[in-house]
Amino acid sequence: MTDVELAIKKGESQLKAEITKIEGTFSYEDTAYHLPISYALTGIPVYDRITSLDVFSRTKDNPLVASECILAKETAQEGKEVSPYTGFIGDSIIRKLGYSLVDGSILGLALIVGSPKSSGTAAAICRELQEKYMLTFLAGPVVPSLSSAGVKLGLDYRLIPLGSKTLHGVHFVDIIARVAMMFGGVTPGDINRLLTYAAERAKAIVIVFPGLSDEEIALVDGMRVLGFPILSLGDYSGGAWIPSTPEEIVSTGMESKGIRVNVTAIPIPMGCSPAFEGKSIRKEEMYVEFGGGRSPAFELLCMKNSNEIVDGQVTVIGPEIDSMVEGSANPLAIIIEVAGKTMKKDYEPVLERRIHNFVNYGEGSWHVAQRDLIWVRLSKEAVAKGVKIEHLGKLLASKFRMDFPQLLDAVSVTLITDKEKVLAAKKEAELVYEERDARIKGMRDGDVNIYYSCTLCQTFAPNHVCVITPERPALCGAISWLDGKIAYEMSPSGANQPIEKGPEINAQNGEFEGVNRFVKKASHGEIDRCSLYSVMEYPMTCCGCFECIALMLPEVNGIMVVNREFKGLTPSGMSFSTLAGTIGGGAQTPGFAGISKGYILSDRFLQGEGGIERLVWMPAQLKEELKSRLSKKLAEQGKPDLFDKIADETNAATIEDLMVYMDRIKHPALTMKPLV
Amino acid sequence: MAYDLHFDWSSSITEVMLGATKAEGGTRRLSYRIGGGTTLPFLETTQGSSAPLIAFEICDNPQYWSPIVRNYCGDLVNDCGEWAKTADSGYGSDMIRLYLTSTRQRNFSDIPSVGKTVESVLSNTSLPLIIEGSNEPKIDSEVFLKCGEAGQGERLLLGTAEAGRYRSIAAAAMAYNHSVIAQSPIDVNLAKQLNILLKEIGLSRDHIIIDPYTGSLGYGFEYSYSAMERIRFSALKGDTDLAMPIICSAVDTLTVKEIREAGPAIQDDIAVQWEFTTGLAAAIAGSEIICVRHPKTIPLLRKAFASLKSGKNTIGGQ
Repeated sequence: MTDVELAIKKGESQLKAEITKIEGTFSYEDTAYHLPISYALTGIPVYDRITSLDVFSRTKDNPLVASECILAKETAQEGKEVSPYTGFIGDSIIRKLGYSLVDGSILGLALIVGSPKSSGTAAAICRELQEKYMLTFLAGPVVPSLSSAGVKLGLDYRLIPLGSKTLHGVHFVDIIARVAMMFGGVTPGDINRLLTYAAERAKAIVIVFPGLSDEEIALVDGMRVLGFPILSLGDYSGGAWIPSTPEEIVSTGMESKGIRVNVTAIPIPMGCSPAFEGKSIRKEEMYVEFGGGRSPAFELLCMKNSNEIVDGQVTVIGPEIDSMVEGSANPLAIIIEVAGKTMKKDYEPVLERRIHNFVNYGEGSWHVAQRDLIWVRLSKEAVAKGVKIEHLGKLLASKFRMDFPQLLDAVSVTLITDKEKVLAAKKEAELVYEERDARIKGMRDGDVNIYYSCTLCQTFAPNHVCVITPERPALCGAISWLDGKIAYEMSPSGANQPIEKGPEINAQNGEFEGVNRFVKKASHGEIDRCSLYSVMEYPMTCCGCFECIALMLPEVNGIMVVNREFKGLTPSGMSFSTLAGTIGGGAQTPGFAGISKGYILSDRFLQGEGGIERLVWMPAQLKEELKSRLSKKLAEQGKPDLFDKIADETNAATIEDLMVYMDRIKHPALTMKPLV
Repeated sequence: MAYDLHFDWSSSITEVMLGATKAEGGTRRLSYRIGGGTTLPFLETTQGSSAPLIAFEICDNPQYWSPIVRNYCGDLVNDCGEWAKTADSGYGSDMIRLYLTSTRQRNFSDIPSVGKTVESVLSNTSLPLIIEGSNEPKIDSEVFLKCGEAGQGERLLLGTAEAGRYRSIAAAAMAYNHSVIAQSPIDVNLAKQLNILLKEIGLSRDHIIIDPYTGSLGYGFEYSYSAMERIRFSALKGDTDLAMPIICSAVDTLTVKEIREAGPAIQDDIAVQWEFTTGLAAAIAGSEIICVRHPKTIPLLRKAFASLKSGKNTIGGQ
């Protein structure tokens, strides 16, 4: 066993001793970057003893710099090594290589050094790297070892033998230094920029076989500064190196550097595309169904540690499709386990909602609703083509990996069709649902400093900006504050951006400096002010997707709400669609606001106008839909009779009726501060 | 009465350099700087504000080109080097836009020929060049690498990046210091998103030209016009992700029904008028490079621009 820490210390002092012995002049051909590592770090071209020592001391005795200078001197003295070794690689090839990295035809870079105990092991690792679109560089005894195993080397094979000594591995770093200067806009001498670039952009890993000398260990360990994981196979202990096994070393390395291979095709016997999403499966076309009130069924997505799940694994517990009776309803549990370095528990429900889309992507699979209300069907046509329960799992596992490559490293799916087991698992799932509800329910606007925007609808309402807070979901009802947060994390340049709410301008109306600033910019200068909780003053803009419209009725000093489903005339004299046409398109219309149904249940609802007591009218159907939750909430607030005081089309179809009704039941809005 | 032509706008369009003279590391006789506008097109009152550039489009396999142009240009269409030379000295265009239509053949694999074609056009004209790479994602990587390499130092404008495929073209631009045409389907937000994607991959803003996609006159041009206007307004109001110059090429113009079905005696004139009117409208909407395929459109546009504006803004060469 080699103690890495100890070896680094010894190696570094040996390198120091050696660099002080440097004589003569040296340089590489076909490069504008001198000795690239030294040049990138300090901006100083190194070509002799004095410049070497200058850069070495400026970089606080950096072992990479020492190795680079020593190698350059040796190359100058002894000449370039002969084929197959490439030695120093010129700028024009690096440019092409950088091209492939930006272009994505190479996913990342690997360096292999050391002496493999068996050439077969090294060959297998190289093969895996090739398969995973990595460009691999080799330095030292690993090269003859691979050649003896008959492995073909060269740029065409994505295996590049840099030189016969581990010291030649320094070229691996000079390549990355040049890519940073050519492509990353790193100016020579800007160490911070270089390190940031190397850590965040350079997808590089280092694989170490046994047998390195102290100096070589110091060189390899020096690469850690650049954020490259150093993975070792046996014989090394201590230090920050990651011990691994030949089977796992490539995937561990790629995973720790966030290099991902994209899944492109899903191996199932039915088409899978958003094109099929809107297609439903009618009863006559259905082979079997699950849930929908006919059999117990639920879905659940949970986060696990990456060592707890096997990526791509699909398990079916219980009968497969061939033992199900045609036309029958069967129990089903869809349990998805995911892992990923950036995955968070908060994301679970948002990802779980995607099960709905993904199952519908299948040409012969159909899905509605969520959680323990799901209803899933498989078509006769699909089953005839050979689609099984297992394939639903494969579809889900692949789609999650494909659509969330940055987020998920591993996805496994368990499908249960055994009734007893489904029922048992469902009990546990219900606990999870409850816990999640509690988490969102408890959140208050005052608890957070960041709200989220949504400008998805700017495609057709160019100046519209939704501001989403924990207590005010997007006006379409589809995006909550948590969803916005997650969408931003998953796609930092997407339509959901963080908004620092900044100092309060008007607490009651919910107007904030930061929100105004953001809205002004995001509305392309059209909207100067936005109050989150007011219908009357600077209300939020409306795109066209609002679930409901809240509008002021001056005659009764109150506010009515109408939902999209209501087809009749409202007391305002207008129907939903007429109103929608009036206020949509990204405009700010005082007295009108587009809102989600969920917002009616929020404590912030109509806060600017004095609270929910302002609510005078809603369609009966909307009242019914909200009844249990809204009346419970009103009771908690000490207004148990308010719910029944809200009129609907059955007791007040016109504004005159509404005035009479409100007088009769003594609606609180009548005695509130005048709205206008 | 004098109006403030800048309203309350505070920002300007990013400047982009096209072409490189010897002093700038290339071999062009001149180079252009476009962008820099601080108000709507043709409202600039300052000395030296530029008229839009006119780019003449040629291709290396005329089988994919309009028969009207093939008839007018004759044998030239079979030799894109000579065609480029004539476009420069004969037709009087400001730039040449080369479409590598040869790459549209099924199973195209002769990548080295791409480099040769680009080199031949570069040697036959000393105008700045626009190069349109492949149409096929599978060969993008190799084709754009070749284009980028062949035009190293010449500050080419490479086309066309789209939301689904922009990596190869961005890589070629970054590796060899060219600029990129970023095309989105008549949608301000998609234009912005693509620019952000390009920025994230590492391409700087002054290397991007927006192509909002141009429908031809009578066939959806008004949508393009509106998208261009909105892009320009956003840019002037401070949205830096949209503050790039715009290029327009109404590629379908010569195939519209009115031209296809026109009698042989008037077909050429109708084609020119159609292309001219589309190009002029695009320039008024804010496009700073207008691409045309019929040589006779060039003098008409030139005359129209002259009546609206002073000369173009040369930064190097003559």
